[in-house]
Amino acid sequence: MSGAPLLEIDAITKTFGGVVAVKDCSMTIREGTVVGLIGPNGAGKSSVIDLVSGFERPDSGSVRFNSVEVIGKRPDVISRMGLIRTFQTPREWRDLSVIDNVRVGKSELRRESLWRSLASARRLRHLEEGENEEISALMTKYRLDEVRNHRAVGLSGGQKRLLEFARIAAAKPRLTILDEPMGGVNPVLGERIGQAIRDLRTAGSTVVVVEHNLPFIERTCDEVVVMDLGTVIAQGPFDQLRDNKRVVDAYLGNDDE
Amino acid sequence: MAGTTTPTETPLLKIWGKMSIFWISVGLGLSTAAILALSAVAFTLEYAVSRVVNLAHGEILTIGAYSAYVAETTFHLNLYLCAVVATITGAVAAMSLNFFLIERFRSQKSLSTLIATLGASLILQNLILIAFGGASVSYQFDQGTLLHVGPFLWTTITIKVMVSAVVVAILIYFLLQRTQLGKALRAVSQNRELAQVSGIPARRVVMQTWMVAGAVSGFAGFLYGETIGSITPSIGNGFLLLSITAAVGGGLGRPYATLGGAIVLGLVMAVAGTYTSSAYQLVIAFAFLAVMLLIKPSGIFVRGRRATVRA
Amino acid sequence: MLQYWTAILTEASIFAILALGIDMIWGWAGDFDLSAYAYFALGVYMTMVLTIGKAKSPVEYVLGWHLPYLLAIAVAVVVVIAFASIIGAIALRSLREVYFSITTFGAVWAIYYFVENYTPLFNGYNGVYGLFDPMGYGMSYAAYHYVFLAFCAVTLFGVYLLVQRLSRSPFGRMVRAVRDDEKAASVYGRNVFGTKYRTYLFGAALAGLAGGLFAAYIGAFSPLDWKPTEIFVLYAAILVGGRGNPKGVVLGSFIVYVGFVEMTRYIPSPAARPELGPALRQILIGVLIIVMLRFRPSGIIPERLGTDGTEGRRSWRYLFARSSAPPTSVLAWHEARPSMETVVPAEPRPEAGT
Repeated sequence: MSGAPLLEIDAITKTFGGVVAVKDCSMTIREGTVVGLIGPNGAGKSSVIDLVSGFERPDSGSVRFNSVEVIGKRPDVISRMGLIRTFQTPREWRDLSVIDNVRVGKSELRRESLWRSLASARRLRHLEEGENEEISALMTKYRLDEVRNHRAVGLSGGQKRLLEFARIAAAKPRLTILDEPMGGVNPVLGERIGQAIRDLRTAGSTVVVVEHNLPFIERTCDEVVVMDLGTVIAQGPFDQLRDNKRVVDAYLGNDDE
Repeated sequence: MAGTTTPTETPLLKIWGKMSIFWISVGLGLSTAAILALSAVAFTLEYAVSRVVNLAHGEILTIGAYSAYVAETTFHLNLYLCAVVATITGAVAAMSLNFFLIERFRSQKSLSTLIATLGASLILQNLILIAFGGASVSYQFDQGTLLHVGPFLWTTITIKVMVSAVVVAILIYFLLQRTQLGKALRAVSQNRELAQVSGIPARRVVMQTWMVAGAVSGFAGFLYGETIGSITPSIGNGFLLLSITAAVGGGLGRPYATLGGAIVLGLVMAVAGTYTSSAYQLVIAFAFLAVMLLIKPSGIFVRGRRATVRA
Repeated sequence: MLQYWTAILTEASIFAILALGIDMIWGWAGDFDLSAYAYFALGVYMTMVLTIGKAKSPVEYVLGWHLPYLLAIAVAVVVVIAFASIIGAIALRSLREVYFSITTFGAVWAIYYFVENYTPLFNGYNGVYGLFDPMGYGMSYAAYHYVFLAFCAVTLFGVYLLVQRLSRSPFGRMVRAVRDDEKAASVYGRNVFGTKYRTYLFGAALAGLAGGLFAAYIGAFSPLDWKPTEIFVLYAAILVGGRGNPKGVVLGSFIVYVGFVEMTRYIPSPAARPELGPALRQILIGVLIIVMLRFRPSGIIPERLGTDGTEGRRSWRYLFARSSAPPTSVLAWHEARPSMETVVPAEPRPEAGT
């Protein structure tokens, strides 16, 4: 279950205008695992994601992804190394069709070169048509078949979540970080999202899930990292943490979940 | 797009030594900066409450300037009454603009509103052109005498312009800090929906802000017409770019930061104008804007990395 | 009459090329650019000074070479790209959206005043002139105009094919993804600045090309001919035709351009009020922009949805469709939302708390 370390966060600290959001936070995510990142509201979970994915820069500390330092790199550069994250609200490309949203996930950067698009349009089209089967399978799997040619902005909240998973599945990242994938989602769809996460792992992606829904975390994750007040207070299998007093205090003390 | 040269500039260059030229330029810069400050603050207030970069802002200045012209030539009002007329007309123009255009585009992206104000600018500017013709007109007020104040050289009318600008700026300060409207304005500028929910009549606050901004703009248009001595239908449009530069350089959507930006820009243009022709004023303004955007995009007088007000 | 239409169609073709360039920047990448007219003007000026030979006093301008016309256009385009790369880098670097518009607005006026006042560059206020029959066929006046119209029309067609190809390519798709959500695009490895920058330079290059053609058409060019506000007629054309759709942009350019020229024949222009006609024209452009933006922002032929090949063949129908309910209901499907509930099995309502 535990492969080589894929993401190593080492003592990162970040303050926003005097407020300490992340403080001396360290954790290691191993390849091939599904890790739940939990903690009360304001524990710094989302900030950690922002720091890891390059949207914010920590004041100190280091983050290595696949043994390469990522601090100081732009989000798109980090993404090209194989890390894809989501946001708390689903973000779709509103005026692109649903299927194009997935195609952008699938497409490589080389293919989108201006010159290649001009010079070898036909070859590119063949290349894309060659992927039709894979894309169609994804559309079916995430129940987007009926809306494939609709504008993404018109999807319902649940469909947008599924579109996000379809897009990630098409992109095949090494590490996926999901920021509250269950936010505003009903239980039926929740099951589907749980399945989607397991599928991501089957497809070879390591997954980090930030989530408040503890039963969901228990069902889905191999390991759990607990954060409070901007730092990691515990890491391990879910069962062990249930008895950890610090975790219980931090979590149950501040949050009603 | 007329420059702000005063005819006294060139002969003075010969009479005075290098140091004095510098101070005279700074003096002239101060009077431009004073008017610029008013216009830029009005522009920034519009942005603060409506999240719109109002490209028709210049036309409100033009309307103010022309209404004072009509008041003087047709109704033979004196300097002060003309100023009042310009102020009132500006307020009415800005309120109409907000009511008939900006509010209609509220549901759309801020960029769409910007484009719409561009359309409004075209319409207004050309309506004025049709009404008054393309030739420049001017007020006939007494320019007063030349006065030495410290190292500066001003006319009485320049001094009146600056004093009134400072008075208006102080009034705006009191409006923002001490009145109910000021408080509501700040709330609305941070989050209109939230302000609405907490019982602030957002629509009315926005309208009143436009009224204030329009009044200040109309007054600034009158001062500007008086200072440069000739009024054309594109007078405000030329001043628009300076106002935008001052507002963005200082901090868009923040009145005090904008005020600072206007003073800095006014001085930069005055000093740089000593060494180049005044025709390059807008070139200098743009260079200033470009440097500002490259060094500190959120504005010089804004703390923090990023402008908080983003649409 | 024939010559009249030749002139109008030549101009319309040139402006359609310019509009295609502007639409790439605004329609695809979502950046409302106000300085494109400066690139157009730079294209005109550069083509002029590269072909008309040395300046004779008191006229003064840079270069003054005797390049062949087509080569001159190519060089002009390169100069325009180089220039746009500076403005674009400033405008796109950090804060975009309205800040981009503000920066390009400032840039175009700064350039305008600089060119007007700095005579050594392009002879300042008086401008440059002297380009006629650049292909050097020594034809009659009338014949030359037909040939030049054909040349412009062919160039427009070539540019249209090129732009259409780009629009439907993975590149076009990526540019629009970046437009719709920069953050999401960078999460998927797209360099937001790089994407917008490349699109900007390509659009500017088309503006320069249009300028190169216009140079030969107009023969003389001064700041009177390119007030930065002229760009608004192009935005009106794009809005009418269909923002983001090359076909719509070309259509809109012809409609608006021909429409305006035709219309001015019916506007009274008394000799005492020479400003009346142009002023009315500008007012109409303003009205057109606001009305289109408010009531039908997607234009006559809306942006093609998707590169999937299943859409886009039916565009002409939209000509006769009401904006709220296009026949396929696909393009405005977010407005037709209730019907979707019947297509997708409705999910149970979310329960409170989890």
